[in-house]
Order: sequence, then structure tokens, then C-alpha cells
Amino acid sequence: MSLDFLVGFTIFMLALIMVVSMVPGLLAGLESSGIDYDAVAYRTGVILVEDPGWPVYPPWEMNDLAHKDEIQRIGLAVSKETPNILLSTKVERFFDNSFFDPEDYRSKVIFGDIPYSYNFSLLSEDGTSYNNRTGSPIPPGHGYIRRVVKIKEPGVAEIDGSFASQYTAPSSNQEFIVRLDFGQLLNPSVGAAYRIDPRTEPVNVTITGFDEYLNETAPAPTNATLRTVTFWKKDPTRPIPQFTKIPFSYSTTDSSLYTLTIDGNPYDLTPDAEVFDDISLVLKPAATSLFTLDQNSILDIRFNLGDPPPRPNIFGIHDYDYNMTTVPRPDLKAGVLEVAIW
Amino acid sequence: MACMNEDGQWIVLMGLLVALGLFFLALIINQSALVGQTTAEGVLEFPKNDIRDLREAVFNYVDASQNTEVQKDIIAISLERKNAVVSFSAGEQQDVSGRLLRPVTIHYNNGVTEYDETVYY
Amino acid sequence: MVNDSGQLYTMEGVAAGIIMLLTVYIVISTTSIYTAGDTHIPDMQLEQLGSDVLAMMDTPDTNGDTSELVGFINGNESEHFNSTFLTYCNATTDGTLDDLHMSASVTYRDGNDIRERQFVAPDDSWTGRESAVRVTRWVQLPSANPYGGVGVRAVLVEVLLWRA
Repeated sequence: MSLDFLVGFTIFMLALIMVVSMVPGLLAGLESSGIDYDAVAYRTGVILVEDPGWPVYPPWEMNDLAHKDEIQRIGLAVSKETPNILLSTKVERFFDNSFFDPEDYRSKVIFGDIPYSYNFSLLSEDGTSYNNRTGSPIPPGHGYIRRVVKIKEPGVAEIDGSFASQYTAPSSNQEFIVRLDFGQLLNPSVGAAYRIDPRTEPVNVTITGFDEYLNETAPAPTNATLRTVTFWKKDPTRPIPQFTKIPFSYSTTDSSLYTLTIDGNPYDLTPDAEVFDDISLVLKPAATSLFTLDQNSILDIRFNLGDPPPRPNIFGIHDYDYNMTTVPRPDLKAGVLEVAIW
Repeated sequence: MACMNEDGQWIVLMGLLVALGLFFLALIINQSALVGQTTAEGVLEFPKNDIRDLREAVFNYVDASQNTEVQKDIIAISLERKNAVVSFSAGEQQDVSGRLLRPVTIHYNNGVTEYDETVYY
Repeated sequence: MVNDSGQLYTMEGVAAGIIMLLTVYIVISTTSIYTAGDTHIPDMQLEQLGSDVLAMMDTPDTNGDTSELVGFINGNESEHFNSTFLTYCNATTDGTLDDLHMSASVTYRDGNDIRERQFVAPDDSWTGRESAVRVTRWVQLPSANPYGGVGVRAVLVEVLLWRA
């Protein structure tokens, strides 16, 4: 009797211990949905913050509405080498609700078979320069991740009156050139977080205090005429390198390629318009990609203000480079990005 | 159990079958619940930030003309505070598509994750 | 002489008692392990956040600058380090502030010894029972630094981060 009993009892005890130890596991199985959301939020946060997206060149944010399907994955990082540093153009495109619809966010950022709800938000440290949010109101019980980021913004070559002494010279053709040497700009010795890359960021040229550049000799004019803005390129690796004018629809206004404003009014690139105070040209990356430039090319933006007799004295070449005087670049802006998934 | 009645063995047998069935069900559900629990653990366990940080520290070391004190610092403190065996070195400069770069080898092992890389910097 | 006919009843009683105690013990102990497993999620979130903050503090705002973090460590500016870290850490996108607290230490090598120096002491919310996470960052200090004196040195900044 006692041997049978002991053997049976031992087996019973072992089985009981195993079953009892499984009880918490059984309960955990019912709880696992909340864990899942946090994992999805984490994954989404990593894709947004640590990945530049796909395709990389040309970058996904350059695709227009007709080519939205070519965007495989949305990431906001400047490059894969620089996690947590976001590119302002990517951020703007990402939070553009007229461009992306909820289905795009699900298929290009969140991934996964379940149609998750989401809320992405970004706030910069100063509270004003970036305050974006997209998605539905957040219910309790959502998965969540918060990432601290820095945002890279493009520089602006602001050519104000203080440069006048460098760029005023009596000359037969009043031509002002802003020169972008890609070989210098894209040199890998400058980290991706600080690089001026016209292929991904807009080139911004602003000439202010224009009266400083006017011909002072009597009768002193109050304005000048901006005839044309043209783009020229030179490829130094060619046998006989020389500047050639880039074929481009100069007389079509297309704000996805460039914007040109004179004294605050928009114009195309053949304005023939009077300039009293300032000229502002923003050349978008989409235009730069049309110019078929490589990492050795030199791009000229030529402002022609020719006039007989010359009213402006402006003449010279302004290098768009890493000199903080010629192109002041803003500091990286700290911010916080939140992802909520449910 | 003492003074057991030998009647009703069918009931006992059926009870045993049901118990066995529950046992295997519990076994299966228990296994599946483990997956959800380890997602966050997996993130914690994989030292992504540590490795990225180490890479940057090594690049800084190369920038600081490969100061041996810095190398000793990183190796010794890694072992003591992060339980990770770390080793790295930089070779002679080579011409890599027009740029002079050093091959930098990095080895990292914290007992769970092992990471090896040769990168031109 | 004691009657030994009730031995089996006694054994049964003792066994039943042991089973009950064992069951209660196992259920309680394994349940508490389960809740500990659940804290991996907040841990993961905190660790990611802390690593982000240290990495961003170590990223200079303009090319070629030294980073905030190197400045704080090298200048022994623990106040600044504390306030900057918590500003980054507690910011949320709706403008409210989170309730995270931190303490920090710097580990450096002195000859063959590894020494640790408290950099930021924990505040009053620290009781020792918080489930804190540790995040670290390598910092390369220029020569003439408070850790080791002469020559370029690498130190490890360790931050303990918890939610009060």
C-alpha cells in the first residue's frame, strides 16, 4: 500500500506544482495586448528617428503626390549614421496632412497587419518653431515611446548691405553669382548632421539692403531691374571644364521647384522687375535633382541686373560654402518626438 | 484517501483525462504568453545604444591621434562597469576612393551580444 | 503506548497542509515575478529616453564645437548638467512636464584602479526602492581635465534615471 501511495502521491505533487506554476503564465497571456502596443510604438519610433527612409537618393520627401507610391518607408533622420538628428524638410513633409493619409502612415511607418491607430507629435524646445501633430486623440491604454531629437535646418545666404564693399565694382555686366561647389559642400569630412546638401535641402539666397549696391553717381537711382536668374554648371572632371547654362523652364513658376520673390512679390526666373529692397530665391531640392549634378559639379546661380547705364554696381561671386559669414547656418534645434499607438 | 472506496473508478479516470487535457492546454498557452513578454526585454537586452556609443568613442579616440591612455580607459572601464569585453585598433591610413582613411576594427562582447566591425574612418 | 492506526490520516493532513502552503507560496512568488517582467516596458522606455538625452547632449549644435556634455563634465558643472538633462528628459509634446529624476556619476581610471565620483547627487525623491534604469555615455575629455589631470582621457558618465 505505502509504496503505491508514495509513487502516486509524488507524481500527483509534481503535476500539481507544474500546473500551479503555470497559473500566472495563463493570466499573462490575457494581458499581452498592452505589451504589443508598446513594442509597435518603439519600433515606429526607431524607424522615424534613426532611419532616413527609403529611397535615400533621391530622398523620399522629394516625391510629389503622383509618385507617392514610390515611397517605401518614411524616416526623418538626416542619414543612417546620425540617429536622432532629423531633417527639417523631411519633418515638414511627414506632418503634411494634405500629402499623407492615415493609410500611408500605417503602411510606410508603422507597418504590421493590424490597422493601428496612431498619434505622432513633435515639439521643439523653444515651443514655437516645430509644433506638429498628426493622428487621432489618444485614448487611455495606448503604447507609447518618447524620443529626444535635434532638428537640422538649412542655412540661408543672406547677402545684406555689409557685403556691399566686396561686391560693388563698376563693370560692363552687372552679374551677381552665387556659387555652390558640390565637391566642397559634400566633402565627407563634414558630418552629415552639419552638411550643406543641396540635394536634400533647399538653397536659400536672400539679397537685402539692395540700395547699398546702387550706383551712387548722379543721378542716383532708387532701384534696379532684375533681368534674369539663370543656373549654370561646370563639371571639373571633364577634359575642358567650362560653365554651361542648364536647360530649365525659366519662365514657368513652379513653387515645388523654386520660389523667387522681389520686394515680397513672387516672380518667375525671368522677372524683368524693379528691385527696391530685396531679392529672395529658394531653390528646392527637386530642382537641384533636375540639374543632374554629381559630387564634383559646380553650380552657379547668376542674377543678371544688366542695365545701360548701370544702376546697380553689384558684381562678384558669393561662395555658398561652410563659411559662417557667407552662409550662416542655424544651430541644431532640440525637440521631443512622441509616438502613441493603439 | 485512507479507507478508500473502490467504486466510481470511471469517474476518477474521466477526471484524470480532463486534468491531462487541461495540463496540455495550459502548457501551450503558457508558451505563447512568453513571446509578448520578451519584446521589451529583447530591446533592453540588445545593447544598441552601447555599441553606437562605443563606436563614437572609438572614432573620437582615432581623432585624438590614438591616445593609448584613452584606449586603456575605454577597455578597463568597459570591463568593470559595463561587463563588456572591448577591443579596438586603428591601422595605417589608406587611400579609399580618393580619401585617406584608417581601417578601424572594433570588437565588443558583453556575454550575450557579440559585435565585430571593420570600418574606414 | 500510542495507538498507531491513525498514521495515514496524519500523513494526509500534513501533506494537505504542505500542498496548500506550497500552492500559496508558488502562486505569490511567480505572480510577483510576472509583475517584475511587466516593468520591462517602462524600463525600456526610460532607457531609450535616457540614451537619447545623453546622445543629444553630446551632439554639438554647430560643426566643430565641443558638445554640451563634454563642457559640463570637464567644467564640473553638475548643476547645469542636471538641469539640462532633466529639461530634455521631462519635455513632452503637449507642453506638460514629465516627472523623471536622475543622479549621475563619472567613472574614470586612475592607474590600474577604476574609480567612481558622484557627479549629481540624487534628490529627495530617491528612496532606493525605485526601479531605476542606468544609461551611460563615453565622454572624451581634453587635456587638463578634473579626472586624471594631464592628457586626453575617456570617462564613462553614468546616469541613474527613475520616475518618482
